[in-house]
Amino acid sequence: MDKKTVTTISYLSRLKLDGEKEEKITNDLKNIIQFVNQLEEVNTSDIEPLTNPLEKTAKTRDDKVTANNLKEELLEIAPSSNEDYFLVPRVVE
Amino acid sequence: MSWETVIGLEIHAQLSTKSKLFSGGSTEFGAESNTHVDLVDMGLPGVLPVANKEAFYKAIRFGLATGAEINQVSSFDRKNYFYPDLPKGYQITQMTKPIVEKGSIKVSTDNGEKIINITRAHLEEDAGKSIHDLFEGETGVDLNRAGTPLLEIVSEPEISSAKEAVAYFKAVKQLVTFLDICDGNMAQGSMRCDVNVSIKKSGDKELGTRAELKNINSFKFIEKAINYEIERQIRVIENGESVVQETRLYDSEKNETRSMRSKEEANDYRYFPCPDLLPVVISDKELKEIKDSLPELPEQKEHRYISEIGLEESEAKIISSSKTMANMFEGASRKTDDTKLVAKWLVGDVSALLNKDNIEIDESNLSPENFGKLIERITDNTISGKIAKSVLEEIWKSGSDVDNIIESKGLVQIQDESLLEEIANKIVGSNPNQVEAYKGGKEKLFGFFVGQVMKETQGKANPKSVNEILKKILG
Repeated sequence: MDKKTVTTISYLSRLKLDGEKEEKITNDLKNIIQFVNQLEEVNTSDIEPLTNPLEKTAKTRDDKVTANNLKEELLEIAPSSNEDYFLVPRVVE
Repeated sequence: MSWETVIGLEIHAQLSTKSKLFSGGSTEFGAESNTHVDLVDMGLPGVLPVANKEAFYKAIRFGLATGAEINQVSSFDRKNYFYPDLPKGYQITQMTKPIVEKGSIKVSTDNGEKIINITRAHLEEDAGKSIHDLFEGETGVDLNRAGTPLLEIVSEPEISSAKEAVAYFKAVKQLVTFLDICDGNMAQGSMRCDVNVSIKKSGDKELGTRAELKNINSFKFIEKAINYEIERQIRVIENGESVVQETRLYDSEKNETRSMRSKEEANDYRYFPCPDLLPVVISDKELKEIKDSLPELPEQKEHRYISEIGLEESEAKIISSSKTMANMFEGASRKTDDTKLVAKWLVGDVSALLNKDNIEIDESNLSPENFGKLIERITDNTISGKIAKSVLEEIWKSGSDVDNIIESKGLVQIQDESLLEEIANKIVGSNPNQVEAYKGGKEKLFGFFVGQVMKETQGKANPKSVNEILKKILG
């Protein structure tokens, strides 16, 4: 974990970090990874990866439409919208 | 220097479920914007996705039909990226344990049949739609499509030309429509594909660096985009540069591919298991039920048409090429015993009309019942083949019932032999020069007499009877 990795991750997460914070977070992350790395000592070659701590399987649904038209309510809670769409700063294709 | 092309396709087939992959939102196409959006599709805090069982069943149908392995336990992962039409900031997909792995499909190419292996087919949710050109300085977002189930079908890099890529896509489209898991409607975006293209020196074992062409949704553009990209990569390498691994966008208006790299800077999806979803388990019983419900597939149909019905191979191929053609054939065959004649007309006159109008058979006015009846009226001698053509054209225009057309236009074939004899005698009597020439050895003139009789009867005479009668008169 170095500063360059932190810069990349903060870009990917769209989090803006200033210089001081960046340094602190770099150190924090270093420590966290060091701590978690202790797990590497355990031999896991015969163990299936655990995808969920519940160790249960999913309930599924039947293919039925149950949603109502919430257009007005949903557009209203968006930061920006017009009568038909959510609006965001222009994304250039 | 000669180059070899290596192509792999990722086809996204929209599964024809009624509701979305993880919510009860409707998947109906063409609805008013943002009216089919559930709270789960919006990615609102506190909501939880619940998987749609039918999407799994449909994916499994594809797996079984391609001889693939079905993972009865499959799980979901998050693919993280930011884009306005992806409200959650991640797409739920199956990275580590896809529902389907290691299948294959047979593809007809110019060099005969080729097996293309399918690495995997996994379930994932579609994103919404961004509208870029409608609003000044802003992008509109419609989330109706967000959460719609997709089956992403990933081929091995075993395709070696643009034409072959198109043939592969067509084979997959044919299969998913036969299986009734995707409507195959490319204009509505129900099937789209990403194409990975690379080139290498002939004989080289190692693959070249690939470029990915994104989101192409027509056969024509797949072929054009790949061919452009092959040319471009050859140019790059022959100029002493190297191909960059990147995503490129195909511009159909300019017929070129453009780098999208600026947008994809430091692309890293940081996949991890989706903590909101537990592994989905398909029981042996469910698997067996799906297996038992699989329909007859194109290849099986083709074989049956040849071995049981006795169709020509070329006919069987055309008829089994699409579900709608096969339905027309099988539906019409229920109305008449002469199935071979049904096939002949379907491949001949009906296909010609389809090509002329550039439509699919289910878009025409011809119904299987009416078509079958038309063939039956030929075999029971109500009308001649020639008249049947004009009846078919009338159906094509109006969709009217065969018997109504025959009756209202007075097209019933003349069966009365004495009437035909009378007309034939009249024709022979009023053309003494031709009779003399015919008897003098110009046998080709026989056709002239037949033509005259048909003209006199407005095509309603049975050609076979006319032939016999004229032979008797002319000796």
